[in-house]
Amino acid sequence: MIPVTIDGQRLEVEPGTTILAAAKQAGIAIPTLCDSPLVSASGMCRVCSVEVTDGRPGRVVTACNYPLHEPTVVATRSERALRTRRGVVELMLARWPNVPVVLELARDLGLSEARFTHPKRNLNSKACILCGLCVRLCDEGVWHHVLAFEGRGDDRRVVMPFGTQNATCVGCMACANICPTGAITFSGDPNDPVDAARIRRAGSELTREVVLLDRQQCHMREVGTAHLVEVMNDYDLLPVHNYRFGAHADTHKIASDKFKKVFTQGVADGCSLGCDMGCAKAVEGHVLRTGPDKGKKVLVDGPEYETAAGCGSNIGVFEPWVIVELNYYCDHYGVDTISYGTLTAFVMECFEAGVLDLERTGGLDLRFGSFDGALELLHQMARGEGFGLIAGQGVRRMKGIFAERFGADPAYLQDIGMEAKGLEYSEYVTKESLAQQGGYGIALKGAQHDEAWLIFMDMVNKQIPTFEDKAEALHYFPMWRTWFGLNGLCKLLWNDVEPEDNGTSGAPAKVPAHVRGYCEFVAGMTGREVTPDDLIVQSERVYNFQRVFNLKAGFGRRAHDVIPYRSQGPVTAEEYVSRQERYDKQLKEEIGLDPTAMTLDERRAALRKYREDRYQSLLDAVYKRRGWTSDGIPTLAKVRSLGLDKVEGLVELLAAHGVTE
Amino acid sequence: MSRLTLESLERAPSPAVAAPGAQVLVCSATECVSVRARAVREALETEIRKRGLGDRVEIVATGCHGLCARGPVCVVQPDGVFYERLTPNEVPHLVESHFVQGRPYADLLYHENGAGGTLACERDIPFFAKQSRLAFRNRGRLDPESLDAAIASGAYQALRGALRAGASGDQLVAQLVRSGLRGRGGGGYPTGLKWQAALEAARARNVRPVVVCNADAGGGVAVMDRIIVESDPHLVIEGLALGALALGAVEGFVYIRLEYALALARLQRAVAQAREAGLLGTGILGTAFDFDLAVHRGAGAFVCGESTALIASLEGRAPEPRATYVHSAVEGYRGLPTVVNNVETWANVPAIVRDGPEAFASIGTGDVSASPWRGNSGTKVFSLLGAVRNTGIVEVPMGTTLRELVFDIGGGMAKGRAFKAAQIGGPSGGVLPASALDLPLDFDTLAEAGSMMGSGGLIVMDDRTCMVEAARYSVDFLAEESCGKCTPCRDGLVALRGVLERITLGEGRESDLALLEDLCDTIGEGSLCGLGETAPNPVRSTLRHFRAEYETHVREHRCPGGVCKALIRYTIEANCTGCTSCAKQCPTGAITGEDKKLHHIQQDLCIKCGSCFDVCHDDAVLIR
Ligand SMILES: Cc1cc2nc3c(=O)[nH]c(=O)nc-3n(C[C@H](O)[C@H](O)[C@H](O)COP(=O)(O)O)c2cc1C
Ligand code: SF4
Ligand code: SF4
Ligand code: FES
Repeated sequence: MIPVTIDGQRLEVEPGTTILAAAKQAGIAIPTLCDSPLVSASGMCRVCSVEVTDGRPGRVVTACNYPLHEPTVVATRSERALRTRRGVVELMLARWPNVPVVLELARDLGLSEARFTHPKRNLNSKACILCGLCVRLCDEGVWHHVLAFEGRGDDRRVVMPFGTQNATCVGCMACANICPTGAITFSGDPNDPVDAARIRRAGSELTREVVLLDRQQCHMREVGTAHLVEVMNDYDLLPVHNYRFGAHADTHKIASDKFKKVFTQGVADGCSLGCDMGCAKAVEGHVLRTGPDKGKKVLVDGPEYETAAGCGSNIGVFEPWVIVELNYYCDHYGVDTISYGTLTAFVMECFEAGVLDLERTGGLDLRFGSFDGALELLHQMARGEGFGLIAGQGVRRMKGIFAERFGADPAYLQDIGMEAKGLEYSEYVTKESLAQQGGYGIALKGAQHDEAWLIFMDMVNKQIPTFEDKAEALHYFPMWRTWFGLNGLCKLLWNDVEPEDNGTSGAPAKVPAHVRGYCEFVAGMTGREVTPDDLIVQSERVYNFQRVFNLKAGFGRRAHDVIPYRSQGPVTAEEYVSRQERYDKQLKEEIGLDPTAMTLDERRAALRKYREDRYQSLLDAVYKRRGWTSDGIPTLAKVRSLGLDKVEGLVELLAAHGVTE
Repeated sequence: MSRLTLESLERAPSPAVAAPGAQVLVCSATECVSVRARAVREALETEIRKRGLGDRVEIVATGCHGLCARGPVCVVQPDGVFYERLTPNEVPHLVESHFVQGRPYADLLYHENGAGGTLACERDIPFFAKQSRLAFRNRGRLDPESLDAAIASGAYQALRGALRAGASGDQLVAQLVRSGLRGRGGGGYPTGLKWQAALEAARARNVRPVVVCNADAGGGVAVMDRIIVESDPHLVIEGLALGALALGAVEGFVYIRLEYALALARLQRAVAQAREAGLLGTGILGTAFDFDLAVHRGAGAFVCGESTALIASLEGRAPEPRATYVHSAVEGYRGLPTVVNNVETWANVPAIVRDGPEAFASIGTGDVSASPWRGNSGTKVFSLLGAVRNTGIVEVPMGTTLRELVFDIGGGMAKGRAFKAAQIGGPSGGVLPASALDLPLDFDTLAEAGSMMGSGGLIVMDDRTCMVEAARYSVDFLAEESCGKCTPCRDGLVALRGVLERITLGEGRESDLALLEDLCDTIGEGSLCGLGETAPNPVRSTLRHFRAEYETHVREHRCPGGVCKALIRYTIEANCTGCTSCAKQCPTGAITGEDKKLHHIQQDLCIKCGSCFDVCHDDAVLIR
């Protein structure tokens, strides 16, 4: 700690603390103009000039960027400091005599008029005072580098370089929001909101959090979602070898630090206009080693976490270049990387279990980790040739084909074929989180976590222990997440960056401050005031309608919410043994059995029965909370309360499935 | 040239072995080239060939000789006969006289002070006799485009010695500290201490520092940096290599202005030569020492010479200074410890390493044994400009007086006028009055007197100079060159210029002098970088030494220097002989009068250009 004295007050500060921050600590205010916590200090305006003595003769320095590294005596209001400050403000006053922030500073310093004229005097009260906040924010905060200074001396002005309308400007308005004078305005707002200022206020709070907090929280702007690889591995949640395991010794080879090296860094790559988060990442200059574009140097958009896991650990591949190459060709062919990863993992397990062999795959070696085979499988799928023609139909159909043509055991295939409602699982191991099993199983469009991601709440933080708690979460979060879909918004800004005080908000998982922000957004956009509950009801209406739609399409009953046992517990002996301690403990503590007195098969069977029963109990609880029948169909009361009974034929459809008064 | 090794470089011809026969060292630096030195050289070559003197007389295109005012110049060796103001037409006579008849060609010898006397030899001419040779050691001797010539003059021997001796970084840095060398780029920061800071920072963070040569040489008057690069590029490269060896740097830059075409071309050629000869690149001189140098061309703005702006420019960003509360030596180019030194600073390094720090410290004034801050060792190269006879580039020991520079080396005031003031240190240098003529020129004395060493530009002003206008001129330059990042410099200099302007227009107010002082305080105290911090110097120093002149402008609306157009009138007095010279010269035809009769100036047509005043042989034109 460094002892400093500011205006006679003594305090100790961390080395490197600026005088401005130290003064604040001491409760001493120093005027500033070009300083903001959102951007680096630049010392441009010089309004924060103070006098410093640190052994050398006293000198005037700027408080906002002077780092304290040695014992220092600071005078913020000495004759000399004030003279400099006054002189600086007088210059501003001469040039911008009507700008409120300048007038305010002048008043505080007892200045009413400048003693000289400035040849570039500007009477506009919203004149740009060259503080550079907008330029720095766009550069360092938003990462779009759209604004710059042009001209030197008093010709300096803020421009989009070369005076053009810069096409990379995403219209985030961060610059306009930070400008202390209102010099920046935006022309034209395609959405024509009712109250643009209200939206902007909510938006600039998000900008602030993204700029300041992401670097402390998830680093999404730097590495996108790829940092999850090592996190999931650490919690035994990373799918390895078709979800048999949750971690692998080679994970470090595909951890985010490896991707960081191949990613194009420091670029905000947003997928929607105006996004400050810009979590999308790209790999530039990847030279393809296979396929129709072999030898070509390409830009690959990604990889994201689930691509890294699905095209990586889940198929036993721990080579970043293979993941990048699979990512490229999936994009190129229009194949979803998750479905590809999960179906390939299934194929590989079948291959290793003898369901498939080289003859059946047409010569493709599809053992785990065989990336040549994996890449060629993808190319075959795209060409509609060979074994690719089978694999390309997805896990659900493959189960049928393998049983029919190759005589494989259908029950075994059902246990290890990771799909629900025909959609391949996304890349999380859910064995230890009952709530997340429900999240995947009940989800309307099949096994994905878009509706609910409850693993940490459930398994790590143990925030939802009872069936009722889990059911509540499986009501609230699917409805809330559906709301993003309804509005075409990205959910990352909801909970991948959180306000500093989210922990004390009472319901941190819901990020209440952000939910209120979305209410502001809706109100600003539509002119209608809404509460958080209103938003949930909006979703509920759509969600229930979709469930009924599923019913009509033959997917909307309890029987359709089944999930493969691989997502609930250990299918094979090998899996059981790999986490034996955990499973034995559950047998003993939760089921009351003595595992030492049982064979491995007995233990496996007992555990399976217990877990499958619990899953059924969960379904009961969730259906109840959602206002559904025990068959998973919305009740008439529910449908009425949401006004869905007015939909033509809906009540009849329910009746046809036995749902009546 | 094939790759040199420690051994082969040691065997290289020593400087003592002079070339047989005569050598004509023709200046081929920018200043002489601008007055047709190339044509002179070609004429010489043709003439020598024509007369079959080719075996006996060698023509060498050299770097600057320093006496630019009298260019094109050459020196004929071995006798050291100096010729000035050469023209291609005179060349046959010179060759005839000097080489055929064996007599120096009197017409082109150095003319002493216009008094008619001539001096034949370089060593007799005070301009040369009073100078030293250290940073500009090869002044006028060397073909700057030849690595062989550089090596024959002893280049790279200091590097060889240091590598052979296996000198450690600490040893080399200690030598620099003991030498008392202070930065020649303006600030006078002890070079050894800067290196030490970088070395320590690099060790603490386990990174490699970067060395940078600041050859921006902006400010209009700092020509000596360009001339050193132009005349002796290998000396600078060797300095940088030694710096890199001391600091463990593998990467270095020379930041030079694009507009210095000749210096740039020669530097690039020298770097390529050095690389080819194994003096740069990997495995320098066959050792494990790796270091390479990139030449970075700057687009040219005064502020680009400021070290943090220069680093920003090197990084590909706009050349805007940043606060130096954390020094570049600790965190500079791409966050690495970065030693930025001036051209002349680097040029001094080889001699310090080769001849030892004590030899260097013994030159100049002050005692640096206690602290490298205590003294002014070595020499300083000045570019001597303005109202002296011998304008040019001169190198003198630190502590030489202004009087010696102006009157001995400079050959006294031009046109017989009186010395009024000298502005030292470039456009933001302070102006010193005649009473300062006997001040020793060194960092500390200059700073105390309200001026600065700055770039080492030295502009001599005569009695026909208006100090208010001189200050306005400097401030105008600085206002134009301000980068505009910080308020005091950006808007303060504009305000300062406005007040000075109105004084020169005779519209000044009594309160303006106090206002000038306040503005100077704001700019000097409040600015972010050295440009703004030093910008008030010309105003403050003229207010201090020539306050009366300001007061005369404000109170009497008169310009004592006879310069401010709004305040003066030209008139023709009775002693006019009617020679008509002035009437012929006047661009607006404002002068009337018959042959051999008194002439008259029509004031409404006069634009106050002063042409009449300059041409009148009879001092009949007066300024009121
Ligand atoms: C406006 C301004 C212009 C400068 N221009 C130059 C320059 O052209 N060359 C130079 O060597 N130093 C220049 N300097 C000084 C550099 O900032 C720096 O101090 C110097 O290059 C360090 O080298 P030295 O320690 O060897 O002097 C300038 C400084 C300022 C404030
Ligand atoms: S536009 Fe606003 S934020 Fe940008 S420099 Fe000007 S005053 Fe500052
Ligand atoms: S002092 Fe002048 S040159 Fe330096 S940063 Fe400020 S405006 Fe730019
Ligand atoms: S707030 Fe410190 S310089 Fe502007």
